Amino acid sequence: MSRANIVVLLLVAVLMGALLSVFTTNSESVVFARAFAEPGVEFKVSGTLDPDYPVIYDPEVAVAKTRFHMRDKNGEVQEVILQKAKPTGLEQSESIDLYGTVIDGQFIAGEMLMKCPSKYNEQSHSLADATNAP
Amino acid sequence: MDITYIGEWTWAASLGRLFLAVAFAAGLMSTIGYVFAVHQPTQRWMKMGRWAFRIHAASIFGASVLLYLLIFCHRYEFQYIWKHLNDAMPLGFMVSSFWGGQEGGFLIWMSWMLILALLFLRRDPGRLEAPVMAIHGGVLTGLSSMLLGLYFGDFQFGLDPFLLLREAPQNAGLPWTFNGNYLNLIPQFADGQGLNPLLQNYWMVIHPPTLFLGFASTLMPFAMAVAGLWLGDHKTWMRKAITWAFFGVAILGAGILMGGAWAYEALSFGGFWAWDPVENSSLVPWLVLVAGAHLLLINQNKPGTAVTATYLMVGLSFLLVVYSTFLTKSGILGDTSVHSFVDSGILPQLLAFLLGNCILFSVLFLPAGQERNAFALIQLLLAVGIALGQPAICILLMLVLMTGAILRGHLKHLPKPDKESPLWTREFWMFVGGMLMFASAVHITFQTSLPVLNHFLAPFSGLFDQLFQSTGWPLARKLAAHDLAPGTDFDATYHAVQVPLAFLFISITAFAQFLRYRIDSEKGLFIKLLRSLITAAVMTSVFLLAYDFASWEAPRVALLFACLWSASANADYVFQVLKGQWNFAGASLSHIGFALVIFGAVLSTAKKDIISANRFGDLAMLNESLSNEEDLLLLQGDTIAMGPYYVCYRERRQDGIHAKFAVDYFRTVPEAYTKGEVVARDGFLFQCITDHTASPDFTSDLESNWTFLPMPNERQQREAKAWSAGKPGPFAFTLDPRIQLNEQMGNAPEPDTKRYWNRDLYTHIKWGRVSDPDADEEGWMDGRKHDMMRRDSLVIGKSILALDSISAVTRPQKPGYGLLDKDIAVAAHFRLSGNGPDTTFTALYIVRDSLLIPDMVTLQERGVKLRIDGFRPAEATFETVIWENLSIRRDFIVMQAIVFPQINLLWLGCLIMTAGALMAVRERKRMELRRKSKAA
Repeated sequence: MSRANIVVLLLVAVLMGALLSVFTTNSESVVFARAFAEPGVEFKVSGTLDPDYPVIYDPEVAVAKTRFHMRDKNGEVQEVILQKAKPTGLEQSESIDLYGTVIDGQFIAGEMLMKCPSKYNEQSHSLADATNAP
Repeated sequence: MDITYIGEWTWAASLGRLFLAVAFAAGLMSTIGYVFAVHQPTQRWMKMGRWAFRIHAASIFGASVLLYLLIFCHRYEFQYIWKHLNDAMPLGFMVSSFWGGQEGGFLIWMSWMLILALLFLRRDPGRLEAPVMAIHGGVLTGLSSMLLGLYFGDFQFGLDPFLLLREAPQNAGLPWTFNGNYLNLIPQFADGQGLNPLLQNYWMVIHPPTLFLGFASTLMPFAMAVAGLWLGDHKTWMRKAITWAFFGVAILGAGILMGGAWAYEALSFGGFWAWDPVENSSLVPWLVLVAGAHLLLINQNKPGTAVTATYLMVGLSFLLVVYSTFLTKSGILGDTSVHSFVDSGILPQLLAFLLGNCILFSVLFLPAGQERNAFALIQLLLAVGIALGQPAICILLMLVLMTGAILRGHLKHLPKPDKESPLWTREFWMFVGGMLMFASAVHITFQTSLPVLNHFLAPFSGLFDQLFQSTGWPLARKLAAHDLAPGTDFDATYHAVQVPLAFLFISITAFAQFLRYRIDSEKGLFIKLLRSLITAAVMTSVFLLAYDFASWEAPRVALLFACLWSASANADYVFQVLKGQWNFAGASLSHIGFALVIFGAVLSTAKKDIISANRFGDLAMLNESLSNEEDLLLLQGDTIAMGPYYVCYRERRQDGIHAKFAVDYFRTVPEAYTKGEVVARDGFLFQCITDHTASPDFTSDLESNWTFLPMPNERQQREAKAWSAGKPGPFAFTLDPRIQLNEQMGNAPEPDTKRYWNRDLYTHIKWGRVSDPDADEEGWMDGRKHDMMRRDSLVIGKSILALDSISAVTRPQKPGYGLLDKDIAVAAHFRLSGNGPDTTFTALYIVRDSLLIPDMVTLQERGVKLRIDGFRPAEATFETVIWENLSIRRDFIVMQAIVFPQINLLWLGCLIMTAGALMAVRERKRMELRRKSKAA
């Protein structure tokens, strides 16, 4: 077997290890029920902002604390605390991924990803309400 | 019913579509002509291919020119123009609105491909012409189909850049579309939507075309590789592809880093690289292209080495570009990216294009004849399977078959080297380096592709679930959920793998140039490297001293060392071996540049210092949650310490589409204390015993200058300031971090950066008001509730409101307050101090016949209103509502400030790398010409 083949096989082996580690380092994606059943473990919970409740961010009290309610994929609504300043566009977001842990019955997220209406284009470009100007 | 539309450039829509239809048809003809020309020596097919290709090129250029004409004439009846242009945009943004959307993106990508193809045709390509151009024809035809904009029922085939708004599906059948004079009647047509303000940045003018040129430049090496397989000639193309490949390396590399610079300058995610799918999907083809280009170099000097790997790298670099187009334009990435993507409705087409290219590439690895036919047939059946609704399993099978075909080609008929290279040869280490870069690319692709992988896992969900039920294996449960996403901790998800890989391949760039091709050149190698090794070791130690590194950062430090070694070794090579002949130094220069890019990236990321973070020990003790805050609350007019500066948020002003927040920076000078002054520290009071200038830390300042006050009097307690080593000194500069007012997409923060030669101070607004808060006509803002006990105090505007004491209102006092005898009342005595003379006032909590009588106290001139809504006797706590008037309100912002050390090395490295690669390309061109003229 040539030296080049050995190099390739070695790399394949190392890479397989690295790729498998992806499955162990990633936080598991769950719904609130599971996160609350296993407090202290970091999970990813996806859902949408529940517009029935206000988003509370009061920087004069705490600069890095945003409270809001999120509805998970099972429809369960929970109040969550995000340990960051209120992200721009939170109210407009279409979906939210929270990375966090349940501590003392409260879901506390350290990291959040949002999907917002496209930055690049495409809101409704319909001119349905276009009316003839007088 | 035929309507004549007044003022509409209907002809332009027709002409544009004609161009695109002709481009598609001619592209198809050209492909057919060139395909037949490959194995048929008659000139007929070749002629057909050439002519059809020229027509195709002319049509695409025509369509591009027409689109520009529409842009410059502001023809808003066209959907594309209306979406991406408005009257307010200056010339630069008008130019860039061309690639504001996907349609224009395809057009510019194709235009670059055509320009490169025409250059290729000009230099007498010989036998390669037919197969290379056949591939170009196929790819360009596929891309033109994305611009056809045809509908078959609900199935959309391509996006039409020349679509008139009245024809757009969302407007179909609306009354105004039947009005011939709609352009003049409807005000919305007077102006367009305009380019998204987020994209209105000068980088938008230069970054996308550069990136598209980089993408386009991967096609030529790919086409040549396919030609090599097709003709069974594994030598000629490899020699010819080198310049094209390195041109791609230079341009694509520059394009990617321009994207980083843009992100750094205009987007507030706090850096230049976020391992975002969009960034990754342009980085990955570059890494693979670099690997491929170096493998081509090996083959030039020792033909027949690592032939399969060379084919794979060169082929994959283009296929990965197509894959990234698919990822970013199909909407499949969903919400894993800060960039957001919309499914533009052409996913099936993009998928077909991607798979088609992959099949084409892999089928040629099989021996010509039956095997190829069988392979193609099976792939076709699987494609039908995809259409029938089993995409995941069919694509998986396709990929397995493709891998099989490539392996078969490798084992069966691709050439092998006659004898193995010795260990210490340039080709061996270049090969290892290339493979390492490929490994790094695979890892990044894997992370980016997790959303795609989830689609592949979906059909096996039940299987994994059963596996979990029976074994309790947590991994099985994760796989069953098929909802994998890359982690948010970049150290774990990317750096843990990427840093060691980069350490290895950058180290190889340090010594590989000192090795010779084919000949074992171990002897004397160490001596040649000694100088650069020592230089690198010394420089690394300097950086180790300058920046604090923890022991877990060892891999990082190793990588920094490798970068320094590579940079100094390559510089050494230019003097030691090349004797300063700069014409040949292109390769060394680009290695230096690359090492600097990685060095700057790693150091500035690893040692970034968030100086807005709250680091005061005593505050952290008071409230633990404060200690991990990275953002600073700045009240207007307050001057507070931040890292080496004092900062003051001065004012907010509106400037065009930006709300700018002027933050002044002052240098810190040591505080001077005079004898008798009292300061507070960690809850204790100290009195100054000598006039002195403060030392940087309190412990050393305490020694001979302060005495502990065990029993401070009330005045001392009240007047004691917190001890501080410094105070604001002379004004240094002002930064204006801003918020872009963007009605379309929501307001977006944009950073402002102070640049030094060795560091950047990067600041951005985390939260700020873009306009004054709501208030009634007298200027009172919404009231806020506060629970107050005795001795509690609050900051109201520029004053402090304190609840001094509480007393029950006695019977004799009641008439004085205008109360009845039966009333129950508690009085709260407040004091408002600061910003004017102290004012005391009393607010009452009154209960009459078990009803609460509201008692509103208004201090008009101080801008404060207060009402007590409740009293909890057990806690002696008043529930108050306090209103503030706009006249006393102080604005505030939440800001983050980061120091990025040595980030300029990154940009400098980028310039050197690009320049080096282009120099190498030029030198190679010159050598080719010389060889040709010698042969003639």
